[in-house]
Amino acid sequence: MAPPTGPRGNAHRSAPRGSRGGGITKRRGTPRTDKDGDVAMDVPATGSGTGDAPARGNRGARGGRGASTRSSSQIAENIRNYGGDSGQAQGSKAHFNRTTLKILGLRNSKAASNNDGGLGTLVNFIQRKASKEKPIRISKSTLDGDYAWITVNKDDAPVILRLNGFVYAGATLEITETTERMPNDSSSRTTTEETKKNLLAVLGKRYHAEQKLLDLSALGRDEGLSMMGAFGSQSLAEKAFKALLHLATSQYKNSQEKNEAIEAVSLARNDINDVQQVFTLVFSLPDLKRLDLSGNHLDSLPKIAKWEHRFQQLQELHLTDNPIMNQDNFVPELLKWFPSLQILNGQQVRTPEEIAESLKLISPTPIAQFPSNLRDGENNVASAFLSAFFILFDSDRARLASEFYDDESWFSVSVIPNPGRTLPWKSYLKFSRNVNRISTSRSPDLLKRIFTGGDLIAGLWALLPSTRHPSLDQPGQWLIDCHTFPGLADPSGQGVATGLAICVNGQFEEADTAQNIFGTRTFSRTFILGPSNPANPRSKHPYRVISDQLTLHNFKANEAAVVQQVPAVFAMSTLATVPTVAAAASVPNIAPMTPDAATKAQLIQELSSRTNMTAEYSELCLGGAANWNFDLALESFEKLRATLPPDAFLTAT
Amino acid sequence: MGPPPLATIVACSAEASKNFVEWYYASINDGKSVVQGYVNASERYTVAGQPPADICINGRVVATPEEWDALLAQQRRAANPTASANPFASTDKVDTVRYEVASYDVHVINSDYRFAAPPEVLVDYTITSNGGARRKAEGSVRIVMMLTVSGTVHFTATDGRPLAEQHFHDVFILVPNWDAILRHGSKATRRYIAISHTYRAY
Repeated sequence: MAPPTGPRGNAHRSAPRGSRGGGITKRRGTPRTDKDGDVAMDVPATGSGTGDAPARGNRGARGGRGASTRSSSQIAENIRNYGGDSGQAQGSKAHFNRTTLKILGLRNSKAASNNDGGLGTLVNFIQRKASKEKPIRISKSTLDGDYAWITVNKDDAPVILRLNGFVYAGATLEITETTERMPNDSSSRTTTEETKKNLLAVLGKRYHAEQKLLDLSALGRDEGLSMMGAFGSQSLAEKAFKALLHLATSQYKNSQEKNEAIEAVSLARNDINDVQQVFTLVFSLPDLKRLDLSGNHLDSLPKIAKWEHRFQQLQELHLTDNPIMNQDNFVPELLKWFPSLQILNGQQVRTPEEIAESLKLISPTPIAQFPSNLRDGENNVASAFLSAFFILFDSDRARLASEFYDDESWFSVSVIPNPGRTLPWKSYLKFSRNVNRISTSRSPDLLKRIFTGGDLIAGLWALLPSTRHPSLDQPGQWLIDCHTFPGLADPSGQGVATGLAICVNGQFEEADTAQNIFGTRTFSRTFILGPSNPANPRSKHPYRVISDQLTLHNFKANEAAVVQQVPAVFAMSTLATVPTVAAAASVPNIAPMTPDAATKAQLIQELSSRTNMTAEYSELCLGGAANWNFDLALESFEKLRATLPPDAFLTAT
Repeated sequence: MGPPPLATIVACSAEASKNFVEWYYASINDGKSVVQGYVNASERYTVAGQPPADICINGRVVATPEEWDALLAQQRRAANPTASANPFASTDKVDTVRYEVASYDVHVINSDYRFAAPPEVLVDYTITSNGGARRKAEGSVRIVMMLTVSGTVHFTATDGRPLAEQHFHDVFILVPNWDAILRHGSKATRRYIAISHTYRAY
């Protein structure tokens, strides 16, 4: 049998009709509507001008609904990649089933003088010849030197290999399967890059920086997009919208930057009949302020309902030239859905005061914060106890334990080791009695991690890092609530005694010289005070600590940054009156405490390594105004750095 | 008879506090009342002269547990939106305020509590491994506990966007609810109830 020759004439086929359904549609002179009232769209009879012959075979399944040409299916793929949907995953999965073939002989053929070196017609030829039994498709092709390379489905390879020795445009083809990598794998990537470039060009024309407006109106009439064949079908149109939106919103580092750059979006004249078609806008730009939906086909509230309680920041909405405008009474409902909505179709529908009220009605609002509440009776027992307590805890824990604790006192510490926080928890974790994390009530840790009796408690305290609490004279640093309650056992063994519950929230500076950790921690500490046992010869005060629970949580002030999106009331109540939040680095003027020599040496070494100052200058810095407060020392170093003499620093390495 | 051994009261308090914490925060997250968790709900205590629970919320004294319920509801606000009966709206319920417990700890501050106690529970207050179920259930119940709970309050907008977070610290002083322990009255009553509650969130 004489081998057949090629190539044959291109067989243009008319593309299938565009399918109906949702999506942004290309606007034509008179939109055709189908039975459901959806806008249907005619698809151009031929491809979008690339002149490629349509491939035969199963491209319909690949190109999606109504994709008419290879180029549009390629765009569909590219757009899908930018739209970020599952298309990518499918694509990469398919690779496992593919194989690469090398074809020699194209160079000598008459087709070699074509613009693409004859590759396109060769691919057509092979597809046509190999598709005798079942349609096959060449997924990738490229030219490299004398060889044409193609990638096909593994199952299809034998059929193509049968074409080995066929004559194509006057040249004999030599086809071999290879395990080599396709040399220039970039053809499709180039097209992908190209698509991205084209989409960006479209976006460039549609973003108006001064108005912070992303104008996605009348996408169907966009020349740039139709050139790309993006409107070959409705599904592609929807993808083009998603791709544009994705590209536009991914230009920014974070959502704050994005929100500042894009405050308004226009989706006018896109033949939208349900916001479902453009629903993803709410994910891309949830904090949108202005939205133009005019000139669409939204005919009733249910067609907008998908966005109910979304776009909580939306201030301005345009719905003119939508059938819904003929309906009565839909405005009050819209106002409920979009609590910030102030302007509808250019008319003010609510005052800023009414907006504030509507936001207040639906936003959760933290319970108001009040200052410390000290109800400790006439003798101010709590104040007296606490001022003694924190000074001694910072300077002489053994004495503290012997003065205020007796054999019946309990102490435990629990930590909330939030990940990603500043200070490590190593020094505390092995003692932490967080019952939430101890699985059973019979766990031995529950018992082991309660420290009872002054001596044991003092022993544990000696193992915990040094601390420095701010002075109680600074009410801004503390939140203290206390009150008396009945229910303690009287030390005499008879009757009921009154107790005092003191709940302290605050922060302290920590210097863990063993672990070389320095920094600030926030804490809550709760004491139950009760009358002293008169039988105890060591008791120096009329009261003693019955229970002392310390919780360390490392709450961080700047995390309240999220509060920005919350009504003003919120920010006020959380920030203004919460004192522990404010003081990040400086805990000034607290009870003088001079660390011992070993601690000093550690601090000096640490400061020196952080600042590159000599030990001598580090010591001067720490011992100066900072009074051995590490953070203050660092601060004063930063201030004075420029004025320090060169010999203050270790020689540069 | 001496007080129960430390191991026993530690185990009992851990059990009781776990029960209380789980119930309490599940309730407030679901918008349910926590009135049953306070001493005011016990007639026996009231009759015996126990003052109402001392509830101090962010530095403000709140007169009754019902008022605390109301404060929580006010904080949630949009949890039950007055919104439209829009049948097309999403039905996902957004919990606008959620308490997430990260840690709790409990101390027994009185292991021989007798106030308002019915005579039955005074007889035997230790858990005995060979005791009957009834005695077990009643064992070591006469404790007063100081329970501290810490964690995060998450604030979320009705559209599901996170708004902010606060750290919270709750302190409860719990006493036995004699009626619940003796299974007098409703099953729903709490075995331990608060005579004091101090709350701070910041």
